[in-house]
Amino acid sequence: MMKRGSGFALSIMLLSALTLSACSNGEGAADGGGKKQTINFVHWRGEDTETFNSIISKFEQENPSINVDMTVFSSGDPYNNGLQAMLLSGEGADVFVSTPGSLFSTLLKSNAFEDLSGTPLLNSFSPDLIKSGQSDGKQYAIPYQLVYNVPVYNKTMLDKLGIQPPKDWDGFLAMCQKLKDEGITPILYGYDVSPGQLINTLVMNLMPEDDSFNKFQTGEVKATDPWFAEALTRFKELVDKGYILKNASGTKYEGALSLFAQQKGAILASGSYSMATIAKQNPAIELGLLAPITTSGSDAKYEGVHTTTFMLAVNAKSKHKEAAVQFAEFLAKPDIAAEYANATGQLLTVKDVKYDSKELIIQSEWMSKKTVFQPRLINTNKKIETALNESLNMIVGGASVEKTISTTQAEIDRNLTK
Amino acid sequence: MKTRNGTLWLFIIPGLILYSFFFIIPAVSSLLLSLTNWDGMTYQFDWVGLKHYGDLARDPVFGKALGNNVKFSLTVIIFQFGLSLFFAILVMKNTKLNVVYRTIFFFPTVVSSVSIGFIWMFVYDPNIGSLNLLLNSLGLESLARSWLGEPSLAIYSIAFVQFWGHTGQVMIIFIAGLQSIPKDLYEVANIEGASRWNAFRYVTWPLLAPSATIVLAYTTIQSFKSFDLIIAMTDGGPNYASEILSTFMYHQAFTYFSFGYATAAAVVLMLIIMVVTYFQFRLLKADRVVY
Repeated sequence: MMKRGSGFALSIMLLSALTLSACSNGEGAADGGGKKQTINFVHWRGEDTETFNSIISKFEQENPSINVDMTVFSSGDPYNNGLQAMLLSGEGADVFVSTPGSLFSTLLKSNAFEDLSGTPLLNSFSPDLIKSGQSDGKQYAIPYQLVYNVPVYNKTMLDKLGIQPPKDWDGFLAMCQKLKDEGITPILYGYDVSPGQLINTLVMNLMPEDDSFNKFQTGEVKATDPWFAEALTRFKELVDKGYILKNASGTKYEGALSLFAQQKGAILASGSYSMATIAKQNPAIELGLLAPITTSGSDAKYEGVHTTTFMLAVNAKSKHKEAAVQFAEFLAKPDIAAEYANATGQLLTVKDVKYDSKELIIQSEWMSKKTVFQPRLINTNKKIETALNESLNMIVGGASVEKTISTTQAEIDRNLTK
Repeated sequence: MKTRNGTLWLFIIPGLILYSFFFIIPAVSSLLLSLTNWDGMTYQFDWVGLKHYGDLARDPVFGKALGNNVKFSLTVIIFQFGLSLFFAILVMKNTKLNVVYRTIFFFPTVVSSVSIGFIWMFVYDPNIGSLNLLLNSLGLESLARSWLGEPSLAIYSIAFVQFWGHTGQVMIIFIAGLQSIPKDLYEVANIEGASRWNAFRYVTWPLLAPSATIVLAYTTIQSFKSFDLIIAMTDGGPNYASEILSTFMYHQAFTYFSFGYATAAAVVLMLIIMVVTYFQFRLLKADRVVY
């Protein structure tokens, strides 16, 4: 016979279980007696949590029947890991974000995206800037952020030394030498982030076509091709002449960024996304973006590299698709987008956004410059992308260009997309 | 007899169900998944037979990860085993001072591996790290290195952090083993004129064999499965110089979405651990003495 206390405890447990199960499908009683929907917004930008909380609270005030939960995973593998678990469960990720390239391609294959083609949501974005979320003429995801994958430089320092941003390779080398003579490390490099960034600007004016990186995965383009070998030779020259941070292969991005903020180096091999963090660490530095032009001035096709990322998507299996699209529309409102952009220092693909921070004004100037979409992310085969990025780390580690090319090509050959 | 057997089964079944649910079913599922090209994102996959095992045999990164794992595990096993035994002998007696020392030695165990990894990343930083700064201030500039950046050093630098973090933990097992050895055996050895080394060789070591077996097996499994420290400190770099089997599996699964391939690597790792542990048990069983 069950004791009275146990029976009471069991009743409480059953009641709790019923309550939890009622909440787990994202529905509960709304204040007005209607059904309240809960959608989950999954992304990787932990540093934007406060801003998103403020935006979510405004959204919930405007849409009392929708509650937005936010789940944040660290970018890269932890995000892939967490998102994968949520998507497989079929619940939990109503609005999520993706990068272009291999993650987008994998999610596309798994039918995770709701087709957003033709929705009014698209009208809020610059059509040229949302192409990376398209496939077979359909819009599966909408890039929200516009990033320039161009090294950040210390304009205050260069101005003081009377150095103008160079327009060709000889000028770039002369600038690095002058900085080195002044006892300043010309280029700060973190082995985990910098190769994936720097490789883009190194190849942008050397690759024969804008989609050359995509052709690595089919074997049409090889690491042994003269243009790629030339890009690596240029980089090797920077390493051999001591223009890249000493011990770079043991320095992480955060360490390199910290050295930059301490003004121990002139250029940080990262992208425009670093500017807000640097400005927080040392507001006294005036920043700019400076790409190494690896050719003569007349042969240069591009001034830099851009990426449209943080691609907003609606889960095709979501039970609350309408609410999810409503939330995405809210994020794309110019005033909300401006709040997000100015608070986080991210340039956006949304139209009519008013930027007021110093870093964003500098970045927005690049919108009129000639830039190419990030070559690295044109490639959808992650193993080949990693092999190409690692080629720069091999050179930083002291390998010859020939050895680097043969190792990289061997890795590419093993992983060709069949 | 039949009733007795039935009662016995009644006791066994709950444990068997739990064990099957948490160990046998996942192990069999892993084995089956390793024969598929599952990408981890969908429920669709094709059977590929033993293809992944053939690919693993030809994959230079897997070979490198296996080699690194052997280097990492041997370094950790030798130093963690030796140091923990040494410290256990030093602080075995229950004096107040020894209790303080034990607490100090044990302290890194309660800190999470990721936190330890981040702390040591700052220590090892080639530009601003305290280790190089210390060497430079002592006039030993030539010894200053990029501890995590040099491919030949990275795996040993992480192995050091691994046994720094866990020596205190296994020391406790040795202390328990040492304290369980009857004191009169040492008295007899003393009367017989045995040296301190002989007392250790013929009394302590044979009686410590059960603890040593546990320490060795635990350290081996722990070092083969080590993951968080490497992910936090180098993520397997530079150029796979610190990639080990567990990080290889993680990267295959969550960076490259090759879950089938990652699972095949997991099966290989499981087999390696089983074989190594079996031989360790046999080896140490030979040294065991029963009184």
